[in-house]
Amino acid sequence: MSNETQSAKTRWLLLSPALFILSIAAAGPLLIVLVYSFLTAGDYGGVVWDFSTDAWFNVFAEKDFFDDTIGFSDAHLSIFWRSVKLSLMTTIVALLVGFPTAYFIATRPESQRNAWMLLIMVPFWTNLLIRTFAVMEIIRNEGVINSVLIKIGLISEPIQMLYTEFAVTLGMFYVFLPLMVLPVYASMERMDFSLVEAAYDLYASRWRVLKRVIFPLVKPGVVAGSILVFIPSLGAYVTPRVLGGGKQLMLGNLIELQYGQGRNWPLGAALSITLLAIVMVALIFYVRAAGDEETSHG
Amino acid sequence: MIEIAGLSKTFGSGASAFTALKDINVTIQENEFFTLLGPSGCGKTTLLRSIAGFVDPSTGTLTINGEDILSKPPFARPVNTVFQNYALFPHMTVAENIGFGLEMQDRPKAEIKSVVGDMLELVQMTQMADRMTSQISGGQQQRVALARALAPKPEVLLLDEPLSALDFKLRKEMQIELKRLQAETGITFVFVTHDQEEALTMSDRIAVMNAGRILQIGGPKDIYDHPAERFVADFIGDTNFVDGEVKKVAGETAQVQLQSGKVIKARNVAGGATSGPVTVAVRPEHADLSAPGGLIDGTLKNIIYFGTDTHYHVQTDDGSTFVIRRQNQPDAVEAHEVGEKVGVTFNAGVAQILRD
Ligand SMILES: Nc1ncnc2c1ncn2[C@@H]1O[C@H](COP(=O)(O)OP(=O)(O)OP(=O)(O)O)[C@@H](O)[C@H]1O
Ligand SMILES: [Mg+2]
Repeated sequence: MSNETQSAKTRWLLLSPALFILSIAAAGPLLIVLVYSFLTAGDYGGVVWDFSTDAWFNVFAEKDFFDDTIGFSDAHLSIFWRSVKLSLMTTIVALLVGFPTAYFIATRPESQRNAWMLLIMVPFWTNLLIRTFAVMEIIRNEGVINSVLIKIGLISEPIQMLYTEFAVTLGMFYVFLPLMVLPVYASMERMDFSLVEAAYDLYASRWRVLKRVIFPLVKPGVVAGSILVFIPSLGAYVTPRVLGGGKQLMLGNLIELQYGQGRNWPLGAALSITLLAIVMVALIFYVRAAGDEETSHG
Repeated sequence: MIEIAGLSKTFGSGASAFTALKDINVTIQENEFFTLLGPSGCGKTTLLRSIAGFVDPSTGTLTINGEDILSKPPFARPVNTVFQNYALFPHMTVAENIGFGLEMQDRPKAEIKSVVGDMLELVQMTQMADRMTSQISGGQQQRVALARALAPKPEVLLLDEPLSALDFKLRKEMQIELKRLQAETGITFVFVTHDQEEALTMSDRIAVMNAGRILQIGGPKDIYDHPAERFVADFIGDTNFVDGEVKKVAGETAQVQLQSGKVIKARNVAGGATSGPVTVAVRPEHADLSAPGGLIDGTLKNIIYFGTDTHYHVQTDDGSTFVIRRQNQPDAVEAHEVGEKVGVTFNAGVAQILRD
């Protein structure tokens, strides 16, 4: 037996636990969800094993309640749109805040960096619900911001921040920020800062150093961070539920609704697959765009 | 012309404060190849970075052509640096690296292209223009770093041990190339090295540094023949140190009585001792063996053949070692043998009184 087939065998052996877990935890359930989306809803939840495309029809379209005409499902489409929009906003804000944060930490003396990273990570280890309620406590009508503003006389009526898209974006930003800071920091820490000095030395202003040297070098971290924030935002469930107060539904809430009160598991399944598809398409576009720019550079 | 006066730099504060530069005063002329030479940690890089603008001096002034530059950020100084690790941009090609400085100065595209072409030719890298910097060898990277720093035609080029990463042969080649480039471009070079031979062969003038101070500034021959301090004499070349006592000073020369009782004429530097005990330095190649009864007497301990020359180690009667270096002649027969009683002689004036 040649060495190569031997090492190929070893490789498969090493991979097998991961493959096993992946097939049980990801591929299997995905297949079940796919099958469910083509079945008929049971009266009290669950599915009836009759083939049906109703669920998929209902994802995008709806029959008018009174005259049975068929139209786009405005409710669903607006939720899709809101999900994508708020997730994009969250990603952009997280990048705008996370990038300078990562830069700040990466430029601290080595002995201090871990302490700073710990500060970023601490909220991440706190329960999601608690963190979300903390945001609520700050922005609700009787919350910290409104009380202070009223006290100092800047406003007389509280500003409605809770249960708005702003609240949902803020909450998701707060929750997912570490997922942006970590990969950006990782690639920034690996960056050779003498390159920054070299650029300064060669007449580059601060802004141009950022644009021409720092940003291209930490781009892998930015791409990774954006993906890590965008994807969980798109499927976020707790945050829009608590901070959106049932008014600012996102895809995650819509899916939960079908499995719960809606008692329409096939529709829930079809929506889940739709979410997955949106994620895949977004990823492909994003990675393509990031890669294209790379090749046009060099 | 670079004028540095009273420059000092203290890192940190309180108990952890560390003074890396102490009262640096130096004037570097236009078109000069000026070298900062000193052991590791003596502050060479700190001084260079002060000129480039990456270190903010604690005190002192720094002007280039009469203009104060300490208040200017690095990108506004007419100075470019060749970094010790080259610091080439890994996401750009060789040509893009070389053109970077010009691009940041918003020079016209056509001009950038032609200057980059000239630079590539100057460092003989035209063939590699479109390679990424990770795809070229260390010596080639070094040349790209040089071309990148030269392209914007700075008034001063700062080079921080640019040759230290190269192997011996390439290093010799690059030394010659650097000299050629400096002559061709007419740019002032401030060159950092801890290699004394490199400093002696390349420089117009050398500043020898130790522990944050400049100890002596002078031409290579001046520094080598007339070291002013024990550290300089020891750091550059090999030296014998002989104790003695100053008897009489007359201008540049002084009479020094050695422990053997013999009186020699030694060169005295400004600020040197005018009386009392002193140390004089004598280069091994400036001394010779004689029959017993020389300036210093002793026993021949060792004869080491080096090809071009032979080293004789003499154990002197006062207990120290004195080394003599003699150039070899073809087919000469060794006239001395180990254990022999010998004398050491040297001509008047080759001994140098050291400032302590
Ligand atoms: N940012 C800093 N903070 C504190 N101390 C520093 C800093 N930079 C340099 N030093 C100290 O200043 C001294 C001089 O450093 P410098 O880098 O100038 O030495 P050098 O002569 O270039 O040495 P080498 O030949 O090893 O490069 C060193 O003792 C160093 O530890
Ligand atoms: Mg150094």
